[in-house]
Amino acid sequence: MIEIQNISKHFDKVVAVNKISLKVNNGEIFGLLGENGAGKTTTLRMLATMLKPTSGRAKLAGFDIIKDAEKVRGSIGILFGGETGLYDRLSCEENIAYFGQLNDMKTPEIKERIKVLSKAFGMDSYLKRRAGKLSKGMKQKVAFARSIIHNPDIMLFDEPTSGLDISSIRGVQEFIKNCKEEGKTIILSSHSMSEVEKLCDRVGIINKGSLVEYGTLEELKQKHSDEDLEEIFIKLVGGKNEH
Amino acid sequence: MNIKHIWIVLKKEAKDIIRDRKTIITSIVVPMLLIPLLNILVGGSISRLNYDMTENVTVALSKESNTEEIRELVENQIFNEFSNITLLDVDDHIEAIEKSTVRVVMDFDKDYKVKLEEGKPFVISLMYDRSQTKSQGSLHIVWDAIESFNKKIVAQRIEALGLNLNLLQPVQVEEYNVADDEKTSGSMLSMFLPLLIVILLSAGGIAPAVDLVAGEKERNTLEPLLTTKIGRSSLLVGKYLTVTLFSLITVIATMTGVLVGFFINPGSLTMGADATITGFTVPPAALLMAIVISITLGMTFAGIQIALSTYAKSFKEAQTYLSFLMMAAMIPGYATMFMQANEIPQYMFVLPVLNALSAFKEILTFNINNTNLVLALCSSLVYVIIALYLAASMFKKERILFRT
Repeated sequence: MIEIQNISKHFDKVVAVNKISLKVNNGEIFGLLGENGAGKTTTLRMLATMLKPTSGRAKLAGFDIIKDAEKVRGSIGILFGGETGLYDRLSCEENIAYFGQLNDMKTPEIKERIKVLSKAFGMDSYLKRRAGKLSKGMKQKVAFARSIIHNPDIMLFDEPTSGLDISSIRGVQEFIKNCKEEGKTIILSSHSMSEVEKLCDRVGIINKGSLVEYGTLEELKQKHSDEDLEEIFIKLVGGKNEH
Repeated sequence: MNIKHIWIVLKKEAKDIIRDRKTIITSIVVPMLLIPLLNILVGGSISRLNYDMTENVTVALSKESNTEEIRELVENQIFNEFSNITLLDVDDHIEAIEKSTVRVVMDFDKDYKVKLEEGKPFVISLMYDRSQTKSQGSLHIVWDAIESFNKKIVAQRIEALGLNLNLLQPVQVEEYNVADDEKTSGSMLSMFLPLLIVILLSAGGIAPAVDLVAGEKERNTLEPLLTTKIGRSSLLVGKYLTVTLFSLITVIATMTGVLVGFFINPGSLTMGADATITGFTVPPAALLMAIVISITLGMTFAGIQIALSTYAKSFKEAQTYLSFLMMAAMIPGYATMFMQANEIPQYMFVLPVLNALSAFKEILTFNINNTNLVLALCSSLVYVIIALYLAASMFKKERILFRT
């Protein structure tokens, strides 16, 4: 479970995130919608303990992001969009194992888990190859495996399909669905309406750092008397963000 | 801080760097091979040049002086003890010098014979080409031969007057070097070895430091890493130790190259000075001290390099900062190059970089002052702590770590 209470982040005079509160239940996918610079990534970075909130608090899997930062990091898996962030000179197996080691897994445990993940993602044929030699789709699969090597309860996805081709996007979406089926608590940050509609149980819309609306898709549609999520989004956001 | 995590990061970073051919070639292979290779090439050409200048001296007489009589005088009385000089017969002596057929041309006074018989001085003009190293070098050999001929004539004239030759030389000079071979060798080593070590320690960490932080930021590999259980301190120390390790490996690789170069060409360590390094042994305790000070200097550079690499927005920016750091480190190295160990003021043993340079000089010249060495070591440790603190404060600042 993820519980966020009045969390804010300021960079000097710029308010990147402004008093966001929300709760994501176990086995739920919560979609964060917002334009570029709306505060989605900053929110996820705070939840992943990479950034310290200016005010407010949050708990992930029962651990406080400030007091129990290490335990929080041990409970989450995070996948960033765009670049996969793999080490090109390490093999896929070494890339995945490195994150297992840093999450305090023992070697036999890592080996066993890599076997399972390799089978699940169809990576057997290139597991020993260096990551720098792989296609973008292959790299994306290795990045998936790496993010869940320690089998975390909570997954954070930050625009995971950004810059990917259609088949790779399909792969990412399948992966997110599988995570949900495994009972993981998920926050998916995106600016793709169709993706959010397809995957999320509930949606929150962030504009200029504030959570301006949230609820299930049905609730949003009913409240705004509109069937089109994109229209609702445009109505709430009202154009470009400018900080 | 978690030692297990630090070890995991160190192992991974070392593996990653070892697989990077560019870094391995520039940090290890090139320094290891460059110096022996230079010694073979430069040493070989210097030997050939020396041989040509001193052992294969070609001389000709000017057109006016090229008579049977002068040739006989030159061959039998001036060059008779100099088998390395060959007298050639040329048509155009100026052209012969220009084309390097001969190195020196001798031109005798027209009335040299009369003057020689009357005991009056006569002139032998030596023509050479200053733009040619070999011609310039051979001039001294011909000069020596004429000096030797001069002494012979003087001796004959003094003897003819029934006088003792010692009358002309009331004082004879004999010189004694109070420094033994070790001190002489150490003094020469102390000129360039400390500078070389400082340059290598500051340069060796550039590639890994840039790659491990600025490179990771640019390749987006740092962010996923920060979401694992590893704490930032452990991550920083793992990276810091990797940079230190590769700085030291660069020093070891280069010093191995220097030693191999020394065996190939023993004169190479004196950088062209007219001496070779012989009988040089450093006391074990002093050697240990030099190693420890080198390591602490490497650790200081590594800390600053990690801090600058963290501060940099990009790979290129980090490379620029670290190149400046290397240049800054070279300044005290050059400034103290010709400073004598026994004249180094004590305050220099506590100043950054200068402390290590001064300590190396003392150790290499056997002017060991324990207080100075302890001061150098303690101040080095303080600088390591300051550098690490600087790196840690940069690494922990969100705005710096995530700025791109």
